[in-house]
Amino acid sequence: MAHSDLTKEQGRTLPKLDLKTMGPAIALILLCIIGYSLNPAFLGEGNITNLLTRSAFIGIIAVGATFVITAGGIDLSVGSMAAVLSGVMIMVMNSLIDVLGTGVATVMTGCICSLILGIGAGMVNGLLTTKAKIEAFIVTLGTMGIFRSLVTYFADGGTLSLDFSLRDTYRPVYYESFGGLPIPVWVFLGVSVAGWILLNRTAFGRYCTAIGSNEHVAQYSAIRVERIKTATYVIQGFCVSLATIIYVPRLGSASASTGVLWELEAIAAVIIGGTVLKGGYGRIGGTILGALILTTIGNILNFTDVISNYLNGTMQGLIIIVAVWLQRAGWRGRGKTAD
Amino acid sequence: MTVKATVAALAVGGVLAMAGTAFAQDEKIKIGVSYPTPTHAWAAGMNWHAEKAEERIEALYPDVDMILVNSPDPASQASALEDLVSVNQIDALVILPFESDPLTDPVLNVKKSGALITVVDRGLSQPGIEDIYVAGNNPELGRISAQYMKTRIGEGDNIVILRGIPTLIDNERFDAFMEEIEGSGINVLDHKHANWNRDDGFEVMQDFLSRFDDIDAVWAQDDDIAIGVVAALEQAGRDGDGMFVVGGAGMKETIKGIMDGNELVPVDVLYPPAMIATAMDVTVAAFKSNGPVAGRYILGATLITPENAEDFYFPDSPF
Amino acid sequence: MPFDGGSPVAVLAADRISKSFGSVPVLFSVGFDILPGEVHALIGENGAGKSTLMKILGGFHQPTSGRIFMDGKEVVLPPNGQAEDLGIVLLHQEFNLAEQMTVEENMFLGREKSSNGFLRRKEMREEVRGHLAEVGLNVSPTARVSDLSVAQKQMLEITRAVSRQARVLIMDEPTAVLTTAETELFFRQVRRLRDNGVAVVFVSHKLGEVKEIADRITVLRDGQWIATRPARDLTLDAMAQLMVGRELSDLYPPIAEADVDAPKILEVRNLTTPRVRDVSFDLRRGEVLGFSGLVGSGRTDVFEAICGLQQVEGGQIRFDGQPVNFRSVAKARDAGIAYLTKDRKGKGLLLEQGMLPNVTLLALPRFVRNFMLDRKAEEEALKRGIRRFDIRARDPNVRVGDMSGGNQQKLLLAKIMEINPKVVIVDEPTRGIDVGTKQQIYHFIAALAAEGMSVVVISSEMPEIIGICHRVFVMREGRIAGSLTGDDINENEIVRYAAGLKEAV
Repeated sequence: MAHSDLTKEQGRTLPKLDLKTMGPAIALILLCIIGYSLNPAFLGEGNITNLLTRSAFIGIIAVGATFVITAGGIDLSVGSMAAVLSGVMIMVMNSLIDVLGTGVATVMTGCICSLILGIGAGMVNGLLTTKAKIEAFIVTLGTMGIFRSLVTYFADGGTLSLDFSLRDTYRPVYYESFGGLPIPVWVFLGVSVAGWILLNRTAFGRYCTAIGSNEHVAQYSAIRVERIKTATYVIQGFCVSLATIIYVPRLGSASASTGVLWELEAIAAVIIGGTVLKGGYGRIGGTILGALILTTIGNILNFTDVISNYLNGTMQGLIIIVAVWLQRAGWRGRGKTAD
Repeated sequence: MTVKATVAALAVGGVLAMAGTAFAQDEKIKIGVSYPTPTHAWAAGMNWHAEKAEERIEALYPDVDMILVNSPDPASQASALEDLVSVNQIDALVILPFESDPLTDPVLNVKKSGALITVVDRGLSQPGIEDIYVAGNNPELGRISAQYMKTRIGEGDNIVILRGIPTLIDNERFDAFMEEIEGSGINVLDHKHANWNRDDGFEVMQDFLSRFDDIDAVWAQDDDIAIGVVAALEQAGRDGDGMFVVGGAGMKETIKGIMDGNELVPVDVLYPPAMIATAMDVTVAAFKSNGPVAGRYILGATLITPENAEDFYFPDSPF
Repeated sequence: MPFDGGSPVAVLAADRISKSFGSVPVLFSVGFDILPGEVHALIGENGAGKSTLMKILGGFHQPTSGRIFMDGKEVVLPPNGQAEDLGIVLLHQEFNLAEQMTVEENMFLGREKSSNGFLRRKEMREEVRGHLAEVGLNVSPTARVSDLSVAQKQMLEITRAVSRQARVLIMDEPTAVLTTAETELFFRQVRRLRDNGVAVVFVSHKLGEVKEIADRITVLRDGQWIATRPARDLTLDAMAQLMVGRELSDLYPPIAEADVDAPKILEVRNLTTPRVRDVSFDLRRGEVLGFSGLVGSGRTDVFEAICGLQQVEGGQIRFDGQPVNFRSVAKARDAGIAYLTKDRKGKGLLLEQGMLPNVTLLALPRFVRNFMLDRKAEEEALKRGIRRFDIRARDPNVRVGDMSGGNQQKLLLAKIMEINPKVVIVDEPTRGIDVGTKQQIYHFIAALAAEGMSVVVISSEMPEIIGICHRVFVMREGRIAGSLTGDDINENEIVRYAAGLKEAV
């Protein structure tokens, strides 16, 4: 009796859920239509590839941010972390040329170095939040400043540039394609799929959601809250370092202005995608769409001269607010259940 | 009684001692140099040139003491100015203001203490405060760039422009450029802000390339933007066929490229971070020279070509 | 019908009110009237429609059909609490106070007195003092609300309502969080209000209290009006019968004889924590052990310490004969100890989520196959729980926060059963739950013990401790004051231990 009820009810509620899920997708399709009507070249293969590749940085970072935010945290340090990881990576690789030459070995060492440091930086953020019990906002605001000033210091206020002899080895990681898609897009895809499975299909993902919903309930339900929360920051650090690894070969440089405001873009992508800022509900698929939406807005604005250059920020802000507003309107409708 | 007397004696002694050191220091000419903390390459270059100039000037004139201070924001720069007056009792101030408006009054206060004021690059909001003004020439940068464009391309050719951060500096450069190419028949397809930033330069240029099939040249206005533009051109395979990019500022890598005969970025227009050194020299001259020095020094926006590139190449500078 | 369309004396009356949420009907043509200067209790099982009726009377819901009369005139109550301007104040179960602001600021929140944009603080403070004195609430106007006791907050809410010239005061389980002494104080205030002509609507599951305070009682069952009678005409049993619609003679299950030779599963010796001193006791297989005592006597602390939720300062714990020291809930869970918190909403359930993630949360590692969650097994678990504990939800995807207290409690039971525990500790298992569900939960507890599990029941309700436990420990000020077995378990003895009139030697 109860069994048949269950399946019947699910059948009824599923389509409703889908509509809500489709919100960001619809927004993206609308943007694409606008882009195409402004200039058909918008949907040209070259531009689509550019869009996807460009979204990869913010997208990969935002997948990590989805975990942190779902578990009720926030990480403001990701932009600065990306900058300092890029900087250190470049310095390490430049200094290894004499030892390991200009081949794959040097580049691999640089990448491993970036991964270790990324995971380490995430660990620091996580432990300061959980063990030292400092609000995540403050911890990561602090590390944001620290990372940013470190890269400035390493670069003497200027720019760290990858030695030209290494670029031939490393450049393909950004510029080459595989099966028609640029490598950064493959990485983005991989991270997205892995992130989706982790959040939706594993105990870890369930724990993140539970902690974000109510930390006390999680604790009383035998969840090791501190460990899981720290792990979300580690995942974030890992994602930042992956993004860094595909960012560095693009221009081969890092400076104090690298990754400025990426943290806000990543958080915006997560929220546009439907994840709840105060935690307890996360959507990787939405996050990916959010990242694509953000990149597409910038791209469209470059494709038209109808809107004054000075109003670019206004357009971006408006679209973000409207996108989230539509999302919330959906929530309100759903929340009205009988008492 | 004894305790009180001791305290009083110490106090008097202290005041005398301070007066003594103050007097001793007064024999040196103290010049404060204040500028923003370097957070981008151009400013880092400026910092480097300021330090070089300090070394050189202090070696040349043992009685001149240069005090270099950099500040991360306008408020701290204003505080730094107060300290320079009250603690260091400077005789002259060389300042590159963070922003014009918030620093006008603080600089005015320094002037009231009797110090000589030299303003670099960014003018104050009120005229007549500074005794000496040293600056690069923003409209000239735009004009020289346009003049070079006209020597390479002409009637019916298409260019795109990548601008900096929306500011007065950017507008001056842009307006002068547009004025100069007017009537040449060169067609400006579009202009977008790339914020003097490599990443933005790359992305904006990618979009220009998707949007316009026929681009003959790019005015990137700045060497950092130009690096992003070049990467985008190479990615799209549109870096040949006489395509060229004109940047600006005088980054050492760009100048090295010009010396090596790079065809994609064949020239650069100077907007030198070394202008701070010029300002420091002129300020010292105000104390050392027998000629008048007060006035405005507008540096030329020199076109750097393979012929003269070597004169502007500082391999040790971060910029 | 008890109601003939607007009796001239009723200050607020509902006539044939029906209400549906979507396609789900919740109230069927219910009549209800409140006279000035009376306390009118509204009782019924969870889900009977009490909350909905109250919200309609407070203007928070609009009825699907039917009419509302105020002073005999038909009205449409304005939504979102604006009915306060008409003198109708609904006090929710959750306090509607700004915790970090002072008593005085809360009293005038939203209707501050000011001239030229400046607050007239002195005047407001005087007025607040007057109101506080009037209701006999002894707190400073400048005290921060977060520093007040629960009862004081409750009283502050009422004082605020009174200060706004409330004519009808509707209260949803106001005594649920109050101790006996606090309840007494609270009732005195309610009577004073009544004597001043305020009409009070009062919802409670504590039938004894209802009998004590109410003048008239209205009973709802399954959204239907059942009866409205003067309180003096109804016995407690009669009330319970009207609510449930059947005889409730078997509220407590028959207790199976405790096996005194059963092996000890849990042995605690001299347990000491920051709030517990030298607590020792044994728990046998198949035993139901009661922990009684006043709120704050350390009962919860003992078991949270055993389960790794609180710091242990000293003592030994043996589980199944082995010395143990669980440093985390996970360790306790893996050993087979489940603790069911009394704070269902704050610590027990994820209110924003559905039933499925809640029911498997504690035992989640059991649902992992190849690093992934086994959806099917989870759905099986939910079905199992629904069947076993008779969880009645309109829709399996309902937000748990929207479920009734009784169903939430059953869901919690289903949740801890997923670990197949050897020891189950239930803290206040029937708080805020209607009598019908209470009866079910008592039977579940007895069944668990009969299956060989050991159950600890922590409760402030003496009848249930007496009704279902084999042995009872009474705690006072962090220590065990005494223990009772078999026929010695009675209210008199428990109270004497709890109040310190008697101490075990």
